[in-house]
Amino acid sequence: MRRPTVPALVIVVGVLLLADLLVVNESLGELAGLAVDAAILVAAGAALAAVAALAVRRSGELWRRRGDPVGAVLVLGGMAAVLVAGLRPGADGASDPAVQWLVSALLVPLGATLFGLLFVTTLAAARRSLEVGGREATLLVAAALVVLVLLLPVSGDAGAWLAAAAQWLLDVPIGAVFRGMLLGVATLAAVFAARTMLGIGSADD
Amino acid sequence: MPTPAELIARVVRFVGDVLGASALRFEIGTTLVVLGILLVLLQLIARPVSRWVTTDVGGLAGIGRAMALAAEAGTDAVFSLGTAGIARSTDAFGRLQTLSALPLLGHVARAAARSGVPLRVLTNDPLAGVAAAAALDAAHERTATLERHGRSRIVMVGEGRGTAAGLVMTARARPAAAVAAGSLREEATLHLDGLRGGAGALTAATAEAAQGPTALLAGGGALIGPELFQAAADLRAEVNERTMVMAANRILAFAVLVVVVGSALALAGVIDPDALLLGIGGR
Repeated sequence: MRRPTVPALVIVVGVLLLADLLVVNESLGELAGLAVDAAILVAAGAALAAVAALAVRRSGELWRRRGDPVGAVLVLGGMAAVLVAGLRPGADGASDPAVQWLVSALLVPLGATLFGLLFVTTLAAARRSLEVGGREATLLVAAALVVLVLLLPVSGDAGAWLAAAAQWLLDVPIGAVFRGMLLGVATLAAVFAARTMLGIGSADD
Repeated sequence: MPTPAELIARVVRFVGDVLGASALRFEIGTTLVVLGILLVLLQLIARPVSRWVTTDVGGLAGIGRAMALAAEAGTDAVFSLGTAGIARSTDAFGRLQTLSALPLLGHVARAAARSGVPLRVLTNDPLAGVAAAAALDAAHERTATLERHGRSRIVMVGEGRGTAAGLVMTARARPAAAVAAGSLREEATLHLDGLRGGAGALTAATAEAAQGPTALLAGGGALIGPELFQAAADLRAEVNERTMVMAANRILAFAVLVVVVGSALALAGVIDPDALLLGIGGR
């Protein structure tokens, strides 16, 4: 199902922003700015609505004793704490020290703890891939092991040779693969953006 | 009053004068290269179905089977829109990946709607959530299954890239199939590991070049780099269409092989192309 209004709107706004990028014109700039401001307003409204919906949903679950009551209490408590810290009389909003403390003393350590699991999960993923025996994954793990050996802190001539080999691997084959992938990504991103602007849907639409 | 023939003649003369008074900004070779690139780009844009790919990239053709298994087992399916979002404070490349995941979401949502499988869409961005809700609406409307619409839901996982990973790692639900499509960065391993832990089938798609290995190690279907943007054009899996593309590709490959081998033989002096093709002997 495709409504013609939406692609038409996308094309008009897309062409407007593109023209504003290529041509210096005051009226055009104001129009483009209006479109961007409207998008920001819509995004802000959607964000507020989403937060309100989250609070209502969690409150409802808690009230009816359904779902995850502990999670609901934590979500509502967290929201209340940040709101009180940022909106209490005399507070500085997001830059208030209380809000900053909540972020630096609670959110950042929680995130760091989560990312501390990366080492374990990466090793587990590598082991699982080898167990399954996929061709690409096996090649990937083998290449990672080779690079790991090359990066071993060995002294002397052998260490210098290993370091030079590791650097060559990074610069030439791995660098070439990355550049090729980035070129492909850039080309198909441009194609996808053009398709979106022109309202050309996916093959099974 | 000129006749139509005179009018056409004047137009042709005018165009000829304009062309005659113009000059190429670049050399002829460079100009042809630029025009060729434009032609390929326009061909890629205008043709919704990819011309060259016949394989099932990322295992997306198997989504229907996964949904049938989900319906049989009475479980749901999960679609993660990555961790970039649309309105969040992130770069345009990440946003574009979220947008490119929406056609894939539509594909999965239609398969889920046909099979009566509830779909959970994970996102950390309100605007991406709105877009996902629209994709779900369209999928149910398209498949005439509006009565099943209420069973699917959008899950707002909270702000940040790590929260999505934290949610899937701690969720107790065991979906039959999970698809993660969009921008995944340093949290990719955690996110995919959490999704894979419970799901029967997993497809990971991200255009972040640095996270290609993570998608490969996740152990399911993988769409890496440009494949995320390409996948929307390859969703159709009709057998006759793929067979035709496959046949055409093989004919092209055979023609290229003949040209290369023939050139090598001609350069080596083994054969004389004139004698071989025209039977007139070398000059």
